[in-house]
Amino acid sequence: MRPVELAHASVMAAVCSAIAVITVALPFAAPLSLLATVPMGLLAYRHRLRVLVAATVAGTIIAFLVINLGGLVVVVGTAYTGGLVGVVKRHGRGAPTALGAALVAGAVFGLFGVAALTALSRLRILVFETITVAADGVAAAIAAAPALAPTAQGVRDIVATMMRYWPVLVIAVSVVIITIVAMVAWLALSRVLTRLGGVPDVHKLDLITDRTDGRAVEPVPAKFRDACFRYPGADHDALGPVSLTVEPGEHLAVTGANGSGKTTLLLLLSGRAPTSGTVQRPGAVGLGEFGGTAVVMQHPESQVLGTRVIDDVIWGLPPGVTVDAESLLGEVGLAGFAERDTGGMSGGELQRLAVAAALAREPKLLIADEITSMVDQDGRKALIDVLAGLTAHHDTALVHITHYSDEAATADRTVNLTGSAENSQLVITAPSPTAASTPHRHVGDKMLEVSGVSHYYGSGTPWESTALRGIDLAVGEGDGVLIYGLNGSGKSTLAWIMAGLLTPTMGHCLLDGEPVSEQVGAVAISFQAARLQLMRGRVDLEIASAAGFDVQDRRRVEQALVSVGLDPTLMGRRIDQLSGGQMRRVVLAGLLARRPRTIILDEPLAGLDAASRRGLLALLADLRRDTGLTVIVISHDFSGLDELCPRAVHLNDGTLVPMPTTDNNR
Amino acid sequence: MTSRDSKRSRKPNNQRRPVVLLHPLPTRTPVHELWAGTKLLVVAGVGVLLALYPGWIPIALVAVLVLLTAWLARVPWGALPSAPRWLWIVLLTGAVISGLAGGGPFVELGSFRLGVGGLLSYLQLTLISATLIGLGALVSWTTNVSEIAPAVSKLGKPLKMFRVPVDDWSVALALALRAFPMLIDEFRVLFAARRIRPRAVATTWRERYRRWSVELVDLTATGMTVSLRRADEMGDAITARGGAGQISTLPSRPRSADVIALASVTALFTLALYVEIGTALGTSS
Repeated sequence: MRPVELAHASVMAAVCSAIAVITVALPFAAPLSLLATVPMGLLAYRHRLRVLVAATVAGTIIAFLVINLGGLVVVVGTAYTGGLVGVVKRHGRGAPTALGAALVAGAVFGLFGVAALTALSRLRILVFETITVAADGVAAAIAAAPALAPTAQGVRDIVATMMRYWPVLVIAVSVVIITIVAMVAWLALSRVLTRLGGVPDVHKLDLITDRTDGRAVEPVPAKFRDACFRYPGADHDALGPVSLTVEPGEHLAVTGANGSGKTTLLLLLSGRAPTSGTVQRPGAVGLGEFGGTAVVMQHPESQVLGTRVIDDVIWGLPPGVTVDAESLLGEVGLAGFAERDTGGMSGGELQRLAVAAALAREPKLLIADEITSMVDQDGRKALIDVLAGLTAHHDTALVHITHYSDEAATADRTVNLTGSAENSQLVITAPSPTAASTPHRHVGDKMLEVSGVSHYYGSGTPWESTALRGIDLAVGEGDGVLIYGLNGSGKSTLAWIMAGLLTPTMGHCLLDGEPVSEQVGAVAISFQAARLQLMRGRVDLEIASAAGFDVQDRRRVEQALVSVGLDPTLMGRRIDQLSGGQMRRVVLAGLLARRPRTIILDEPLAGLDAASRRGLLALLADLRRDTGLTVIVISHDFSGLDELCPRAVHLNDGTLVPMPTTDNNR
Repeated sequence: MTSRDSKRSRKPNNQRRPVVLLHPLPTRTPVHELWAGTKLLVVAGVGVLLALYPGWIPIALVAVLVLLTAWLARVPWGALPSAPRWLWIVLLTGAVISGLAGGGPFVELGSFRLGVGGLLSYLQLTLISATLIGLGALVSWTTNVSEIAPAVSKLGKPLKMFRVPVDDWSVALALALRAFPMLIDEFRVLFAARRIRPRAVATTWRERYRRWSVELVDLTATGMTVSLRRADEMGDAITARGGAGQISTLPSRPRSADVIALASVTALFTLALYVEIGTALGTSS
């Protein structure tokens, strides 16, 4: 299967089994397991049948490992019906075709059931005996009232008849159940596809097999001459014209604001042909091949493909090839990590691991695309150190795409894509705040109060882990508090507890003297992954739904947009067409339109460029000053936050450290 | 530790033990060291055995296997998730109803003659489910996630003769296992985001149904968008590595301990089959 097919099969398998796990583990959620037909339906709608089969195998094994037979049944059943519906949809047929197909599929499934039960005669007899016994028991209970004796006999007779003609019964039940499931799946898939407006596709890289002319892999020097790139259907060039040369062995930094075409440059470097101008290189690009081009991208979690660190280093290497994974790990500062699980690693560690995996292919060209934007301060430093030493130790050219000024400084030379003064302002990273104020003082009346809070995950099991220990924190009306800490310090857990989304294992969190977990929604919270908080397809619908007013009330939607500094013309824009910064502002607009007194922002600046950061911080500072909004920021970043949050507390390893420090002290 | 224990006693809310997903027990025991393929084979074998011969003797022997393995793997009671109350109610109701059916054999209690045939066949079916669930749980408690896909790839090798794409399957399985915890986290955030949004007022049954279905579509559509995005990013990462290839550095093959384990389980199976087929003690109907 092609990479995109493999990825979709595995993610949808994981989604399907996750839904199965959630619905089987929770009582009374069983009907929701029908939703697991949607991922499988999407898969069948978009890909070949073998992709669906691979997903079914993978999903079945996972669900079986987690919740046993129940999970297995859910995954197989939803893959069967979801796949059916997806295939019907792909061929552009309507509900009647789906109904007909479901009836046939139900009969086929029933026949298989009959065959299986015929083969497993002893199990069948046991099951039927148990059913008969249950019927007898019910009949006996009914017959306790003499007047109902005929009814009791009726129950016995019906069950006996059913057991006698069991093959008919099995097929009938199968047809009915599969038809119902398929029709629900049809409805769900249709509504989801309408909502999504088709299946969005945001993939960037394509394996370009330009080896027909038998050229060897030789990606550098790459000479760009007036290269432009325009996406299909767009009305302007996303990049260019660009003229530059990537020389072998050099460290080149590429800077520019969001939307200046940095990522498009990555596409051209990784083998996409420019729409005008030329890109010349001596040989083939060889994406992922030995001596070819390696790419590390923005999202740490998506880069890493292995569940163990050492497995990730060799992931995808041709069979039989061995590399010295340990020394590669040592080079990126992950010595001793080989046997660790990738699941528990921080963003910075994951990105260094991705660099090690890239180096395993001894690339002639390594492209790092904003690899630090989702990584905390210390992680960034370590990552930049790794990159800075690369060209000295390896025969590789490094193209580092970034919007941080200090990162660009370590390069041999810098190319700025926009050149205009307004867009070229880069993020200047700030030092950690010094002990400006004591962490336990607060302004205004005491409003949100965390006292004696400890939280354990998996409490009472052998897997118990401590997230928070003995946290005391009071936040006053109109306060601005920064809670900062590294990955795994428990800061997100604390945010969830303060928003009432988690009940702490010990202690309590009170809002106006009442447990905040009983007033969910009173404290607004914006999560790091803004996209997860945008549930409607269009900006105006989203804001109206999040704020709880009528979408016809254009004035209020407009006000909400203006209040977060967005142009009201964005109202009709699809959510998926928004930039990261705009998404964050739309989330804020929806939250603030409900006039909350307190808002928690979890990593509000992650992934934003300099201008968006400054704009967002100024906006929040204004809101806090003008409306008395209490702002709690959870972050690993300090730049420019001192105005918004005069008070800073440091969370380290689940406890509040009284004095903020300037260095990492983990 | 003592301070934590003393605090535990004044735990404010009675928290249930959750189902812990895909994390082996943090101890190393002989069972942990076994090849993942061995464990999968044993589970499959027990499934086939009990499906073909669901008699008392095979059930008892498999139960012994489960308890012995649990003891060898040093599984503490705390590993079991708390059983919800409704499960007990369902089980008890089933037992009462089947008990009422009566039927032979009979138990003499003084002058009172009680037919326990119905109860026995109910117990038989319940115990089969319980032993299978226990066996499956043992696999996930003692197996590292990264060992599963290579084992499946090895076990499936013979299927390649029939042009079954086993390699694609095991790569998809490995990646799905990698994506699974990330998606569970994202779904948690998604549900939390849903919880903090205001809910439309609904008084009639029709309004409630409408609200419920709209919320469901909201959640599903958002969940799918995020998953598709994650899949596209993962596809890019695979492309950046030039497509699929090796997935593990570990040599995935049985060792001597596996031979011993498989031999013992085979002996157990043979005994069960001999009793069921070859002797008068056969109990699977």
